[in-house]
Amino acid sequence: MPDGSAGARREPTFDTLKREENFRNPSKTGSAYPILNEFVIPHLESFNALFDDSGLPKGDGDGRGLLSLGIKDIGERVVFDGNGQIGTESGQSGWGNRMSIWIEEVSISAPRVQDKDTWSTERRVYPAEARERLTSYRGRMQAKICWKINNKEHPDQCVMRDCGLVPIMVRSTRCNLRALPAADLVRRHEEPEEFGGYFIINGNERLIRYLILPRRNHVISLIRPSFANRGPSYTQYAVQIRCVRPDQTAVTNSLHYLSNGSAMLRFSWRKQEYVIPIMLILKALIGTSDKEIFEYVMMQDYDNTFLTDRVELLLRSFKMYSLYTGDQCLEYLGDKFRVVLNMPEDWTNQALGAWLIEKMVLVHLESARDKFRMLVFMLRKLYAIVSSSCCADNPDSPQHQEVLLPGFLYGMIIKERLEEALNQVRNSIAMDVRRAEPPVDFLDKRYIAKIIHKVNWDIGAKMSNFLATGNLISPTGLDLQQASGFTIVAEKLNWQRYISHFRCIHRGAFFAELKTTTVRKLLPEAWGFLCPVHTPDGSPCGLLNHLSRTCRIVTSPLATVHIPALLANHGMTQAFTSHVDGTRNLCVQLDGRVIGWARPAVAQQLANSLRIWKTEGKHKVPLDLEIGFVPESKGGQYPGLYLFATRARMMRPVKYLANGKDDSIGPFEQVYMNIAIKPDEIEDGVSTHVEHAPTNFLSILANLTPFSDFNQSPRNIYQCQMGKQTMGTPSTALRHRTDNKLYRLQTGQSPVVRPRLHNTYAMDSYPNGTNAIVAVISYTGYDMEDAMILNKSAHERGFGYGTVYKSQIVDLKDMRGASKSTTAPALHFGLSYDIRTEEGDKQHSCCQFLDKDGLPRIGAKLSASDPLAAYVDDTTGRTKFVKYKGDEEAIVDEVRLLAGDAGDTELQKLHVTLRITRSPVIGDKFSSRHGQKGICSQKWPAIDMPFTESGMQPDVIINPHAFPSRMTIGMLVESMAGKAGAMHGLAQDATPFQFSEEDTAIAYFGEQLLAAGYNYYGNEPMYSGITGQEFAADIYIGVVYYQRLRHMVLDKFQVRTTGPVDPVTRQPVKGRKRAGGIRFGEMERDALIAHGTSFLLQDRLMNCSDYSTAWVCRTCGSLISLGYDDISLGQVSPSGSIQPTGPGGEYCRVCRSAAEEEDERARQTMATGQNPAQSPRAEVAVALPASNVLGSSLKGGDLDVVAVPYVFRYLCAELAAMGIAVSLEVR
Amino acid sequence: MNQPGSSNTYGGGGGGFMPQPRQEMEYICADCGAKNEIKSREPIRCRECGHRIMYKKRTKRMVQFEAR
Repeated sequence: MPDGSAGARREPTFDTLKREENFRNPSKTGSAYPILNEFVIPHLESFNALFDDSGLPKGDGDGRGLLSLGIKDIGERVVFDGNGQIGTESGQSGWGNRMSIWIEEVSISAPRVQDKDTWSTERRVYPAEARERLTSYRGRMQAKICWKINNKEHPDQCVMRDCGLVPIMVRSTRCNLRALPAADLVRRHEEPEEFGGYFIINGNERLIRYLILPRRNHVISLIRPSFANRGPSYTQYAVQIRCVRPDQTAVTNSLHYLSNGSAMLRFSWRKQEYVIPIMLILKALIGTSDKEIFEYVMMQDYDNTFLTDRVELLLRSFKMYSLYTGDQCLEYLGDKFRVVLNMPEDWTNQALGAWLIEKMVLVHLESARDKFRMLVFMLRKLYAIVSSSCCADNPDSPQHQEVLLPGFLYGMIIKERLEEALNQVRNSIAMDVRRAEPPVDFLDKRYIAKIIHKVNWDIGAKMSNFLATGNLISPTGLDLQQASGFTIVAEKLNWQRYISHFRCIHRGAFFAELKTTTVRKLLPEAWGFLCPVHTPDGSPCGLLNHLSRTCRIVTSPLATVHIPALLANHGMTQAFTSHVDGTRNLCVQLDGRVIGWARPAVAQQLANSLRIWKTEGKHKVPLDLEIGFVPESKGGQYPGLYLFATRARMMRPVKYLANGKDDSIGPFEQVYMNIAIKPDEIEDGVSTHVEHAPTNFLSILANLTPFSDFNQSPRNIYQCQMGKQTMGTPSTALRHRTDNKLYRLQTGQSPVVRPRLHNTYAMDSYPNGTNAIVAVISYTGYDMEDAMILNKSAHERGFGYGTVYKSQIVDLKDMRGASKSTTAPALHFGLSYDIRTEEGDKQHSCCQFLDKDGLPRIGAKLSASDPLAAYVDDTTGRTKFVKYKGDEEAIVDEVRLLAGDAGDTELQKLHVTLRITRSPVIGDKFSSRHGQKGICSQKWPAIDMPFTESGMQPDVIINPHAFPSRMTIGMLVESMAGKAGAMHGLAQDATPFQFSEEDTAIAYFGEQLLAAGYNYYGNEPMYSGITGQEFAADIYIGVVYYQRLRHMVLDKFQVRTTGPVDPVTRQPVKGRKRAGGIRFGEMERDALIAHGTSFLLQDRLMNCSDYSTAWVCRTCGSLISLGYDDISLGQVSPSGSIQPTGPGGEYCRVCRSAAEEEDERARQTMATGQNPAQSPRAEVAVALPASNVLGSSLKGGDLDVVAVPYVFRYLCAELAAMGIAVSLEVR
Repeated sequence: MNQPGSSNTYGGGGGGFMPQPRQEMEYICADCGAKNEIKSREPIRCRECGHRIMYKKRTKRMVQFEAR
């Protein structure tokens, strides 16, 4: 094992010199850390498998790549130049000439510079350039399209069609970095440890995430109540098989049990589901008699009345179709599916039926006989589950799962895009034939070529889009359960996060919204394949897993054609044998093909022999063959001997006890094995295998937690989270990176206490934290509630000092005033005449930051809204500036001038790397490696820090209350081990599961501490830094590796008094970016009410929010009926009376109009002479301010100012719009 | 600042009454490290190797920050 886990003696050294030598002189022949190349193999090899020259072993096939297999499966598309009417000039059959078109071959080349670029000495394009120029790393794809007319091939009849630029996986066979040693990688501006496995899209590194899929070519039984809702007489029982073609595209076939005893086969074609009676398929596959079918399904189990009844019903119910022979069945199928399939019109129904069965039913098998046998097996399994003689399989268990590999998905999409393009060619020719203006001449090569060129073949753009968005645009759905979320960005936040991306495996977006949590459950079957520790907490918990460290995914095809014969030689009854007794024989399957039958004892013997052969390499049995022997049981899993040799399976290495050789086991067989964790746990007669190392079930990150076996398990989960959020060393090629944001720890150190795997995974090349002297003491009170006190002198020495690199892209193409034409840009970087550049008082202020080329000076310090770049607009001749947006001061670190793809255009795009210093401040987050996070609460002066008898001061003080409830004993052990390691100069081994009850870690490190002159348990007398008195208790002090997390106050603080408000409600907006506020919600309000802090309540909810004053009418209580009179000259109403108004001329429009109406009515009654009214109050108009008129408080003038929230006025207006009046009572 | 700010008359040479906007700056090729003098509005391309990315050189002016 390259990881040193085999148990070789480990030198307790930090390898400082070796590492430095590696950095100075990177290896010229290979890589310093070969394991890094190993763990991305599934990514790379699945991509390589697309090509004919993949370099992978051939297996059973001819070594052709998935693309070649794919275009073979697409086949040809046929078009006729007749109209289908017999008797016209279109020939005898009425269809006229028959032209078939197919894709002959597809090629993808490595990324190269454009041909029009004649000056570049290096024609290859390297990933670093794509990253720096913010473009995609793509190679040209070409397809050779051929056609023939009336089945007469002619060498002329083919064209090459350009399919655009397809993104290439870095370090794959099509990558220019393929197999380069470390030294050459450094020369190409990569990391010395670059391992590839991702794509570069617009300068971002994106990768296709592993996805869990149902295990291919294996029948699983399901009981789902929802199946009963599929239609009348459907039941909850079904069996399902996900069949995979050689080109890795899949079709799922389900067999549903109906309550009348028969079964329906379900598949989907272009996202549309179809169900067919199983009898129809069985008969169509091999033209056989009912008796034969009866015999095949019964398998001599005539006493089983359950089975006989069902099979009888199955056969009887099919009588209503009146289809007796296989050909009739095919014809029937073809007739029903003719419209859907869209295949050549001249095909007979029978041919169509055969084609449908070939393409949709059990597609992993070629011969009809094999399909028939497998269908019968499915039927028997279905009846077994209905009769409860076996249990349902758990589709959430890794036993029935495999992995969707990036390259295979990529190949599927390319295949589908090619098929679509070919269909389009066919359709547009057919359209021209139908239009017949001008009539189509199939013999005209120019016409065909024109049509082929007219159709959109730009597969590259579609693949780029897929990778950039992760959205799958597909007419068939590719037999996947989701259409988005396939790709993620490989963030280089730090090395741990980066490598975790390549090992993460997702259950599927469909399961994320599932309300049940069964899919998230940690199952014992996952042992050794999925890490139980490394999963995020929160919503993706249990859905987003990480592969265990030693878990591999099989990517190379295995040769297994000889295995059926081998097994037959050792006692297996061959599959074609008639009269096999189903009750006493188990089915033997190889990759979902029935290869024979065997008695349980023989099957057991075969499984054992196969295991010995494969571990010892005999009979050419491949090591990665999975031998799933399911023994007979009462109501357990359906028994049988299931062999798997396909790709995309998870496998892991263990030791086989029978012969002491390495074995490779899969999740299907592991369930039936007894694997001892440690050699001393082996039980004779029980254990079959033993683990190579007890830590192998953990993921890479979980393995890096020191003494993780001492911790409470959730703390290890937290550490896996926090390790990935640490400010560490993202890259050693920082200069060549253009990531949006990079966090860098300037003072990274190699941890004193580290597990063995720390070295294996190059963790020392990318340090992630600092060794800190940590005292566990309650001091000053500033270490309450997980706060930690930082020694100010430690801070000044650079403890946790970090930098953030941000990218700023200036693209003149996107600026206002850019010309649409590509030939002559209207904007240019530079300064125009309107900027004075000569030194002196009149010099423009931008010259402090910019050079004469309009680009920022390297090393310039920018504050908010300082110019970052200047450009000249040709049309106006004026200079415009791009401003630096950001609140923090930033230093220009690098300025990149980016040319176009061909290097023949002037400067239009600029990339500026800005450096922002982030020394630790109060409020920054730190954590140890044991899920113990804390916020820095004070930088305490060194003179006031407590000190030990030797005069040592801690760098960090944490509170002892952090331990009892969290039980992170690992941290205490690390503290001791670190202290001893620092004193003795040892790199302490912190691999979990190394100590035992007899040989404890405390004793081991206690002795070391004793030898260094310290207290055995690691605690020391300490003195108060303030009084100088010795503390009553000895203080636990030692060395702990501390990580600085990327969550920093500077990115998070949010404070405002007043600021931007929402235009509608006039309440403060939300969001830190917009200088908004934090919601003071109803529960917070409740708290203030409960405390009786009314002033605070008023201040928060009113004065600092939407305080406003409003006029309210005392009479009607309306808030919204305010009107104003111009009172500079006393207002006179049309009727001549003085209108009552307030002192500012305000009045209530509602009340006034009501009063006027009343007046009018009074006047009318007076005019008609009834009921003489009192004398009118004011007949005289006086030019006096209304306020001076006594008794002016007539109706409509009685308004008051009240303070109300603005949003209340808004509410009143909205309610008024609904016809609801709000009336306030004013007192 | 009220000069007739018109620069669209500049096609190729760099003539005109004020040579100021046609600044010639020295950049460093990202691939081969060669120094390249590139005038404004010239294509970004290394004269030595044809590479398409240039880095700006570090300024010769004094850069001084308060160390805090």
